[in-house]
Amino acid sequence: MTTLSATTDVPAAAPAMTKAPTLSRGTLAFARREFRDALASKWFLLYTVAFAVLAVGVSFLTLSGVGSHGFAGFGRTAAGLLNLIMLVVPLMALTAGAGSIAGERERGTLLYLLAQPVARTQVLLGKYLGLAAALVCSLCIGFGVSAGVLAWRAGGVGTGSFVLLVGCTVLLALGMLSIGVLISVVSRRSAVATGFALFVWLTLVFVSDLGLMASSLIFKLRVQEIFGLAIVNPLQSFKMAVIVNLNASLDVLGPVGAYASHTMGDALAWILIAVMVAWIVLPLGLAMLLFARSRSV
Amino acid sequence: MRLVAIAILFCLLPWCAMASESGPDDSRPMAEIVAMIAAAEPGATLRIPAGTYVGNLLIDKPITLDGGGAAIFDGQGRGNVIEVRAEGVTIRRCTIRASGEDVTGEPAGICALAGSVTIEGNTIEDALFGIDLRESPDSVVRGNTITCKDLEPGRRGDGIRLWWSHGCVIEDNTVRGSRDMVFWYSENLRISRNTVTDCRYGLHFMYSHDTVLEENDLWGNSVGVYLMYSNRITLIGNRMRGNRGASGYGIGLKDCDDITLRDNAILANRVGLYIDNSPSSIGAFGRIESNMIAFNEVGLLATPNTHDIVVVQNAFIENEEPAATHGRGQLLKNHFAENGAGNYWSDYAGFDLDGDGIGDLAYEPRSLFGAMLGREPNLRLFVHSPTQRAIEFTARALPEFRPEPTLIDPSPLAAPPRVDLALAPAAGRSVAMGGVAASLLGLAVACGLMFGREQRMARRQSGAQA
Repeated sequence: MTTLSATTDVPAAAPAMTKAPTLSRGTLAFARREFRDALASKWFLLYTVAFAVLAVGVSFLTLSGVGSHGFAGFGRTAAGLLNLIMLVVPLMALTAGAGSIAGERERGTLLYLLAQPVARTQVLLGKYLGLAAALVCSLCIGFGVSAGVLAWRAGGVGTGSFVLLVGCTVLLALGMLSIGVLISVVSRRSAVATGFALFVWLTLVFVSDLGLMASSLIFKLRVQEIFGLAIVNPLQSFKMAVIVNLNASLDVLGPVGAYASHTMGDALAWILIAVMVAWIVLPLGLAMLLFARSRSV
Repeated sequence: MRLVAIAILFCLLPWCAMASESGPDDSRPMAEIVAMIAAAEPGATLRIPAGTYVGNLLIDKPITLDGGGAAIFDGQGRGNVIEVRAEGVTIRRCTIRASGEDVTGEPAGICALAGSVTIEGNTIEDALFGIDLRESPDSVVRGNTITCKDLEPGRRGDGIRLWWSHGCVIEDNTVRGSRDMVFWYSENLRISRNTVTDCRYGLHFMYSHDTVLEENDLWGNSVGVYLMYSNRITLIGNRMRGNRGASGYGIGLKDCDDITLRDNAILANRVGLYIDNSPSSIGAFGRIESNMIAFNEVGLLATPNTHDIVVVQNAFIENEEPAATHGRGQLLKNHFAENGAGNYWSDYAGFDLDGDGIGDLAYEPRSLFGAMLGREPNLRLFVHSPTQRAIEFTARALPEFRPEPTLIDPSPLAAPPRVDLALAPAAGRSVAMGGVAASLLGLAVACGLMFGREQRMARRQSGAQA
């Protein structure tokens, strides 16, 4: 049995093995180019600096409020950071993603990229990876400086929680970047893509929450319905994942959170992470599909 | 071959250790103790030789049992391990374990059915109920460590239970993983310096009056202290931390009269202080003074019918919602200031121009989101999000959306009153967090090096190919 499967595997694996290095090298070259372009972009630099300054500010403020009483918890800092992350990170990732293809298309440089001996999907994947690396870099700087402040003042409360917060934020950023790239692929002009990205940002941050609040009031939705609708929004999934990490339960979020914690238990954190991963994979996959199919440059 | 032998030896080692621990040679029949008690004069002190005594013990003579820290009473999962039926019995420094598990019989580690019993310095483990005092007045329970059977919460027994036992002293005990430390129909108790964690209710009062609770530490329970139908209770210097279970109250008051809370630290609970219809009688009072109520999701939560409570000199610090009504309505029939001094509220946005320590504007919390939560509790899902901030901002910007204030503190304090409590100081430097900071920045640099330098990478790759 084992010998059989081994013999059938070999011919299938062999071409993939010879082809894989060229695939990744082409993709990586595009990723490097995109990364350097991102670092050169003033917008990206501005976001990085803004995020770092705000994160440090939030860390300082939440600590100075409690430090005098000798009781500092990471919970307060995290609650402050949560709002900041949910506002800034999606904005950063969405606009970065939205500029990726549409900008090149408008400038006419997309033609040169596609003239290289690599598949269209690899061009897109390379651009995604480069932007993702730039985003992770920028988040690491912001969180790193913020962690430095916490190390100096907070006495190391919740080191593990902080690392998990960073991890969840990276997932959120990658998901938002996927959506941004998808927007970019379907937009003909860079201004349209950016506008569309801002609209999506506004929807995810405010409009969907307000809509769900209104419909839960008007239609008297049951808790499981509210929960199901809420986790579709990657920002809500992110928030719940962070709170589950901090409190080991969602009881803080009232009846809906208590329902989720009690019915799903330990699986809840994984469900939320799965939603965030789905928001990375699905829009990116769709973007690759559309970009590969379209003949336009 | 030798490797196999060593592996087998390692596999057997834990088993051998277990076998020797509960080996037959040091377990002795309970009959030995029964004979010792039968031979003893009333009032005698019996020093129990070290060993594990298997079975159930009935004490019907006023004697002192001293285990010396090495005597183990093992009930083998049947009934009460030790049952006391005589007044004036003392049980000291024993380990008591494995009571019955059948809820209907309510089996306990130590069950006392007579008064003036002293239970001191024992370790009780794997018991359904830990210490059960039934009609056992003037008893002392001091310095015991109690861990209950590892059952699902609904099937657990109480760590310490008093039933119709007046004048008892419960001090310095540690209870972990039980249902409650509960007091039924018991008056004039003194309950000090106990630690209760991972239980349902830390301290639970049912129809038990005239008691002082001092310096107890209640953390990680569903509820810290729950007083029900109990009057004239005073809580001084207790700590309620991180009680965030299904109810999640630091302190809960239900239909209680003449309650005084002073110098307590109520920190990081779901709800700091929950008040349900207390005081309930005409002319009764409730006084909440000089407490620190900080970092809770809701600082003070009260039903709308709450009236005549005096809340003064407390520090409400950084609660997600400082005060809220449970349901719709306001808390205006209570007194949030006395003799021109109110409470400190960390979200007070007023000022103190004349520098007398009292804010010049009244503190009137108006939270539109809070008011919406009162109407529709499910909306709490959206707390900690930018949407919540947006809603609050809307209410501040557009007066027609502004809700009625939850409460009015006419003279809020400009600085927090000094609360003298030995709170665990968490401020300071941390190497671990510094490590996190360094590795995050290092990751950023590594990312930059890997993606930022095309030339070198390309050259290395071409070199590798060649």
